[in-house]
Order: sequence, then structure tokens, then C-alpha cells
Amino acid sequence: MASFPEPEWFLALGRLMEAEGELFRRIGYAETRFAIRVIADDSAKTEHTTGLEISGYQIVRALALDDVAAFDPDFVVCARRSTWQRMLDEIQRGGRPDLRHTLSSLALIGEELWLESSDQLREDKFYRFNQTLQELFNLAVKLR
Amino acid sequence: MPTVQIKDEDRIGSEARIRLEPSTYLKKLFETGTPDLGWMNQHGEWGVRAKPGNLGLRLKDIEIGSYGVVPDRGGEHRSMAPRGAAIPDEVPSLGFSINDKAECWADNAAELYEEAVARQWSSARDIPWNELKPLPADLEHAMCQLCTFLTEVEFIAADGPTRWMSRMNQDFLEVKMFLATQAMDEARHTDVFRKRALANGGGLGKASPLAQLSLKRIFDSPSFSTQTARLHLLGEGFVLTMFRQGEFIAPSRVDQEIFRRCMQDESRHVGYGTMHLRAQLKARPDLAEEIHDQLDDAESILLQTFSVPELVEPMAILMGGGIEHFDKGMELQSQLWRRIVNEYLQRCDSAGLDRRPRCLLPADFARLFEA
Repeated sequence: MASFPEPEWFLALGRLMEAEGELFRRIGYAETRFAIRVIADDSAKTEHTTGLEISGYQIVRALALDDVAAFDPDFVVCARRSTWQRMLDEIQRGGRPDLRHTLSSLALIGEELWLESSDQLREDKFYRFNQTLQELFNLAVKLR
Repeated sequence: MPTVQIKDEDRIGSEARIRLEPSTYLKKLFETGTPDLGWMNQHGEWGVRAKPGNLGLRLKDIEIGSYGVVPDRGGEHRSMAPRGAAIPDEVPSLGFSINDKAECWADNAAELYEEAVARQWSSARDIPWNELKPLPADLEHAMCQLCTFLTEVEFIAADGPTRWMSRMNQDFLEVKMFLATQAMDEARHTDVFRKRALANGGGLGKASPLAQLSLKRIFDSPSFSTQTARLHLLGEGFVLTMFRQGEFIAPSRVDQEIFRRCMQDESRHVGYGTMHLRAQLKARPDLAEEIHDQLDDAESILLQTFSVPELVEPMAILMGGGIEHFDKGMELQSQLWRRIVNEYLQRCDSAGLDRRPRCLLPADFARLFEA
């Protein structure tokens, strides 16, 4: 069984996304290419970066990234492993993260989780498609 | 053959004061029974077969051949005849005054229009109102005051641009269609914050003369592009951050859903504004000074607006989690202020406007309190 943040883990989320088609269709389509970066708890070292592409109601690409610039993401969501783990644990418990631990809330304060982007206009896609991104992560409750 | 029954059919037109003579064409058709069909030889590019993509047939899928060409100058006929159609000489002008593409265009307008249509939501259906629970009085007061402010300001992003929308040449229909979605979004924001204020034991709070002044200046902007700078770049950018804060400070999932959904809508508006200014400044670099002047005034009013208790304190109470944590709330506000200013300036950069040397908004929140 793949684990976060391996590409296979996200592809499994993608299959759930397609199975939950009605929910995502009601939210509306999304089109964005972005990356998830996991940073070690005890250093500034990047452990993993996974590139993801959502087109419509599907994850059409998930791959481990060595060269983030070549992937040219709209934005990179960065957090320490413990922050990601807390979010996933809360999703496992309640189907969604606690109120102040959503992707958007954490990115607002920017200490535990932050965004990187070369262009504010492209970074703003994180907000344009935020409901889709959060619901995608919330599907982790269905992963065994 | 059965006919459609119309009540009092014999009275229809019996008191009409004018009588229309049948046209030459209709007389000929009546007499000969032979259709004219000349219109079949008058058309735009023919034989077009747009193919839907994975998300259906979108505007970008019909940007084919001549239909995909948006002219730098809108049609001189100034009518609503569709771009690409065969347009007779005698179409009457509607007097459109925004006829240069750069005056309103943004390369992402069609994309944002389709996205907006796909991501519409209903405040009645999609907000879990039944999950609202009573809040401590200070939090409910603060939330209601915040909702009052947002209800007060949101519709300017419909009223403001639509004043100009009706003046835009119809050849720029993608922009007009996007602005129509923006107006719909703002209707929904006005509605959802009004509903929230009235749904949990509170009510509307105090309106703000300074917020009204800010809206008036947006409304009275001398051109669409200067209005865009005031409205989309500064105003909506600022409100976007408030929505993000709202999602963070939400005391319940109901409030969180409201703010998150509004945040998504607002990001599209900011995206349009940024790209429009980029297009406009590329075509008319000389307009930068006029836009700077407008932003000087808009930033000044924004600073004054957030210097009154009914606008500063609700957010601090919500950020801190209650009046007893007011200081903590102000501290969080201080951290966020730097981010607000930074994102605004980055959007100015993205639009091609070097605002940094001239910006009146201090990066350091503490400077707002200095004499």
C-alpha cells in the first residue's frame, strides 16, 4: 500500500475522486498543475516532492519530482512531515481536518504550511480551486 | 391539423393604432410560396466543426479560424451583431465607447468565465445552515459586524464594472460574459453574508461611512481600467485575504464553507483584474501614472477604513477567539498585514505596475499606529 506523499497514494485518491464524481462535479472542474513538498521535521531538508496535475475531475498526472522547475507548477504546497501527518490523522478521525488546520487556513498563517510560486496570479489558483483540493485530501479517510 | 387555441383571438390587435403593411418579401412568399433563401449565402466562415474537449464544449474549443480572432479594435458598427457573423450595413449603433481591445481585455477572460459557470454554488443549498450553533455573544457580534461590512461592500464589484460593461464593444463578448459571472458572484456574496448575519441570533451591525466613500470612489472611477485597479487589484485583493482570514477564523463549519466558497469566487475576479491591467499597460504604458494616482487615493482610503473600531475589532476578536484574547487577535492581524501588502504588490508586479516605490501601505502593521 502506497503512503503519502508517494505518487501512487495520490493516484489512489484520484480513483476515489472519480468514484465520488457527483461531489466534484457539483464543486466544478479544476485545472491546475501543482506540487506537494514534504520537509523533514528536524531540518530544512526536502524529503519528497510530488507533482500533481488535475484536469477537470481527475488527477491526470502524479509523479515524484527531482526538478520542480521543469514541472513548472502553478504553486508548491510546502509543510513539515508532522504538519501533513496531523492533517491526515484529523481527516482519518473526522473526515476533514480541524477548522484551523485546513489547507487554506494553514497557508494563511504560513508558518506550518506555506505556498511557493513564481507568480502571484498562478499562486492564486490555490484559492480558485481550494474546495477541490481540500475535498481531494479529505478522501484520504477512505484509503486503507 | 390541430391549432393552438388563444383566448379572445379575434380581439388581438383590434384597437391597434397603426397597421403594418406586409413586406415585399412576405407578399411574394404568399403569392408564390417560394422561399427566398438568400440568407443562406450570407454568413461568416462556414464548415466549422468545433470539437468538445474532456470538459465539454468550452469557449476555447470554438476559437476556430476567424472566430478565434479578437480584433484589436471592435467593430465600427457598434451594434450587438455577433463577432464573425455577416453584418448588414444598416444595423443600428448602440454607441459603445470602449472599442479598443486593450481597454477591457484579459487573456484569461474566457477561461475564467467557463470556470465561474462550472463553479457556481447556491447559498441556500450548499451551506450547511442546519449545523449553525449558538456562539458566545462576543464572537457572534464580531461575526455579524464582519458580515455587515462584507454585505455592504461586495456588490460594488457588480455595480461598478457593469456600468462599463454596457459600454464595451460586443466584439469583446468574452469579457462581458466574465463580468456577468462576477456580478452573479457578488449577488451571492451579498446574499450569503446577509443570511449569515440573520441566521444565528445576531443581526446586521453598523455601516461604515469610510467603506461607503471607498465604494463611491470605485463607482466614480474615470475609466474601466482605473476602476479595475481600484476594484480588482486593491479592493478585491484585500477582500480575498479577508475571505481567507474568514476561513481561518470561522467558528463553525458553516462559516468556513461560506468563506471558502467566496474566496474561490474572489480569486477569479482578482485574476481577471490583474490580467486586464497587464494587457492595458502593455498597450498603453502611459496609463501607469493615471493608475498610480487612483491607487494613491484608494490606498489612503483603505488605511483610513481600517482605522475605525467597527472594522478593526471584529476581526481581532474572531482571530483571537474572543474579547479576552483580543491582543492575540491583533498580533495575528499584524502577521497577516505583511502578507496582505506583499500579495497586493506581487499582483501589481504581475500586472506590470511597479507600485513598490509609491505604495502607501506600510509592510509593518505597527506603523499604522504611529502618529
